[in-house]
Amino acid sequence: MKIANLLIVIITGMVLIYGTLDMPDWGDPNSPASRHLSPNYISDAVEKTATPNVVTAVLGDYRGYDTLGETAVIFSAGMACILILRRKRKK
Amino acid sequence: MLDFIIGKYNYWIYIILMMIGFYAMIGKRNLVKKIIGMTIFQTSIILFFVSTAYKKGGATLPIIEHAHGHGEHVGHAIEASSYINPLPHVLMLTAIVVMVATLGVALAIVIKIYRRYNTLEEDEILKAIK
Repeated sequence: MKIANLLIVIITGMVLIYGTLDMPDWGDPNSPASRHLSPNYISDAVEKTATPNVVTAVLGDYRGYDTLGETAVIFSAGMACILILRRKRKK
Repeated sequence: MLDFIIGKYNYWIYIILMMIGFYAMIGKRNLVKKIIGMTIFQTSIILFFVSTAYKKGGATLPIIEHAHGHGEHVGHAIEASSYINPLPHVLMLTAIVVMVATLGVALAIVIKIYRRYNTLEEDEILKAIK
């Protein structure tokens, strides 16, 4: 059983390492992720949102509804914890 | 060959970390150890995404310098290559929120299981259910 688990883990790791062979090099400034979309955010964030911190601008302004949904996630997780952990009151 | 290893080795480190968490999730019998494995798994994904934000060549944190107000004071054009990619950081803030939520609910369920069966070992719980 332990051998089977180890085998599954090693095979999955090999598949993932095979997947990294097509990835861009680490820290490559010309990789698609740093050339395609993010330059627009970096250059337009101060003008459009008046926020020097680009992470804050994207999180709170461009993706504001996503952050609102995150609060819903946290709220439902807290409600689930309360509903699971409460004890019934003895009558 | 050496350039290839230098370009890819950080991905491999995160894959090894992720596989440690994955083995803990599927191989361990104790439920708390499974939860620890899940946290290692999620942390490796967060480290992977944050590491992809890095740009070589003197890029700094994505906080624009001298940019208070509406950007009238930015005396220079903003070069995208001098700031690292902000989007992975934003996405990983969302992922940290999801991670905390799943961890809290999982620990609550484990407490409930311990109250009912007085054990956290998976095979003993399965025996008690039968």
